[in-house]
Amino acid sequence: MIIIAPYAQKLRTDKENPKNYPYWEDLVKQIKEPIVQVGVGGEKQLVPDFKKNLSIPALRELLWQCRTWIGVDSFFQHLAWDEGVPGIVLWGPSDPLIWGHPENINLLKGREHLVENQYIWWEATEHKKERFVQPEIVLEHLKE
Amino acid sequence: MSRVLCSVATRGRYFTTLPLVLNAIINQSKPVDKLVIFDDNDEPKDMRKEFMYQYFFQMLDIKGIEWEWLFAEKKGQHHIHQRANTMGYEWVWRVDDDAIPEPNVLEALYSHVGESVGAVGGSVLTPPYMPATGSITGLIDNIDSEPNIQWGVIEKEKQVEHLHCTFLYRAGVCDYNLGLSRVAHREETLFTYGLHQKGYEILVVPNAVTWHMKNPDGGIRSETKKEMYEHDEYLFRNILAYRDKTIVVLNCGLGDHIVFSHVLPSILSAEVFSCYPEVVPGKSIAQAIELFGDLDPWNVYKKMDQWKWKGDLESAYRKLYL
Repeated sequence: MIIIAPYAQKLRTDKENPKNYPYWEDLVKQIKEPIVQVGVGGEKQLVPDFKKNLSIPALRELLWQCRTWIGVDSFFQHLAWDEGVPGIVLWGPSDPLIWGHPENINLLKGREHLVENQYIWWEATEHKKERFVQPEIVLEHLKE
Repeated sequence: MSRVLCSVATRGRYFTTLPLVLNAIINQSKPVDKLVIFDDNDEPKDMRKEFMYQYFFQMLDIKGIEWEWLFAEKKGQHHIHQRANTMGYEWVWRVDDDAIPEPNVLEALYSHVGESVGAVGGSVLTPPYMPATGSITGLIDNIDSEPNIQWGVIEKEKQVEHLHCTFLYRAGVCDYNLGLSRVAHREETLFTYGLHQKGYEILVVPNAVTWHMKNPDGGIRSETKKEMYEHDEYLFRNILAYRDKTIVVLNCGLGDHIVFSHVLPSILSAEVFSCYPEVVPGKSIAQAIELFGDLDPWNVYKKMDQWKWKGDLESAYRKLYL
């Protein structure tokens, strides 16, 4: 089983969080393993098994049941790191050298896609699809 | 050699003590690298049109001293000092607009700086001078029972825990408390004690006399509202009450709390205020605001921005708290 944690925290504006991976639907179609989505109410459901609003202990327990996990730059990557369960993080405008953990597979399309100031509110950054790697690249790493 | 910014905050003293202060700064035996004047007047003037100031500005140019006249936000001098504190200089010499340094003051203060030093102050004398009797420790515990050590003639270098009025300090290490009211009562005590708490030496040194001509008119602290002083005193006492603790304020995201939890075991006597007590147990952020006013000194994102941080988040927390 693979866990996906697809979305970063909802912004205070209605804008999409620029850290959200834009190709989730394509990606999940190509994964030939059971998938459990974790997140909070109001987020788009990508797979039949969507576990919403799990407590932190429940998420920790779930992590130990998965083969690996895929997420974005959100609290989930920190939780999994804390639990010692490595996974795949799909990066866009935020810098994995600052916000990530080397224990994970950090897929960054290129440092030229990072925003210059990593410490501003994410509301000030536009969501751009071209910042992210294609699903095929994620799938290659998922095989490892 | 480290670069020194001289910062003067002024209000209501264009034609009284400010010219004396500027003249004294221009004629220091060790020139400053830059002079910045923060004009906090209700009706600021273009001082380039005043003949006396025209001479000052020309003297600065002739001496190769960079200068800038900035208009302040009328929020109090702590906001002004914080701007100076973050202007990218290693040292800031803060001088009040009615405090006239003798020509050797900066040279004398600077001669005592070293890697372990956070701030250096000299005597700040107000005529008529009446020397205090008994020994003065300069320790924060004695702040209610002794006069400020800088009010007397300082005979030899001495380590203290806080300074007053005018001094040279290491910039960008500690923040001014922006939660204080416009009168900014105790601002310099809190600031220099903060440097002391960061492990830096706070020194008073001899042969560095500034004459404080306490001008009844004008001044950056000309507010008289009692409630403002009471508010600031309340924050000051709260901060002192926690002085044996390392205050930790996690006004940030859930993931940041998780990362911070790896740093917490290394912090001695942590007093934690947390958004997610289920991850990092602690008191509420509302309590932190009530006790300390301004939480920016613990804002890890602001700090990372200020430090132009390129390392990881956990290391940033370690720099902030250890």
